Amino acid sequence: MRAAALRYRVMAYITGVLIIVVCFAGIPLQIVAHNTIISNDVATVHGFLYIVYVVFAYILAQKLKMRLGPTILLLLAGTVPIMTFFVERWMMRTYIRPALAAEDATTGTAQQPVAR
Amino acid sequence: MPDRVDGPPRRRATLDDMEDPGSVLTGPVVPFPPEPDEPETDPSEAASGPVWRFLLEPRWLAWHLFAVVAVWGMLWLGDWQYHRAVGGNGLSWAYTFEWPLFAGFGVVFWARTIRDEFRARRGIDTVVDYAPPGQNLPGGIGMQQVNELAYDDTDDEDLASYNAYLAKLSGKTKALSAGRKAMTRDPGHKAITHG
Repeated sequence: MRAAALRYRVMAYITGVLIIVVCFAGIPLQIVAHNTIISNDVATVHGFLYIVYVVFAYILAQKLKMRLGPTILLLLAGTVPIMTFFVERWMMRTYIRPALAAEDATTGTAQQPVAR
Repeated sequence: MPDRVDGPPRRRATLDDMEDPGSVLTGPVVPFPPEPDEPETDPSEAASGPVWRFLLEPRWLAWHLFAVVAVWGMLWLGDWQYHRAVGGNGLSWAYTFEWPLFAGFGVVFWARTIRDEFRARRGIDTVVDYAPPGQNLPGGIGMQQVNELAYDDTDDEDLASYNAYLAKLSGKTKALSAGRKAMTRDPGHKAITHG
């Protein structure tokens, strides 16, 4: 779980940065200066790293037993500029940290009687 | 009559979780009562039963429709990139192969949602409680660990017998810790006291 979450987060940051480069540096450069170096090459690299992102994100979603809607949001996050980072934060808050905490807890002792 | 303490929300677990049951089950374990109207049947036989009808529910039909449109769209984009590539745009060759790959992934994704739902409905999956047993909650809110706290069940016979039952189960579980094969769905047995 910890490794899957780490793989996802690394790819989320890589694809997130690349798509920002493409959208906010490459495309303006292409339109204004007709220079397609960034938009072509970086976009292609992003395209292939996005495949890796999708695979890692999907594996993580399976491990976390995420429902369909959140899973689709997670997978598509790699294609929308800036959103990748928000989704990564949301993933950490909503799924990853609770799951890791639960994982740590289950390695402890058996449950005791509780009162409220 | 004491209230049942509501546990945290439960999630479906897959068979992968059962590779090491000790890592996911948090509490005393009891055999889950066998389902009366579900004898041991071959899963493929059960598939011909009415289980599959959930696929025709509106939300599932919407999901199928979405999957078809999405996959068709991705293949169409791949075809478009192919024509661009043939027309001389060398960069498009990359996308020509990328879009069908995404389309294939979409099919796998869609198929696995259906497979998981079948498993869940046939009870192949187990329900695993991932929530930690209360120790992350601040004091005074919700449930607390009471192994050091005093709790009084002497005035309630039901409660006392239930807590005794839990203690017995806990002992049994520890004794069985190695050979847990009949691992089952209900990990959390919480003793109950008056709120």
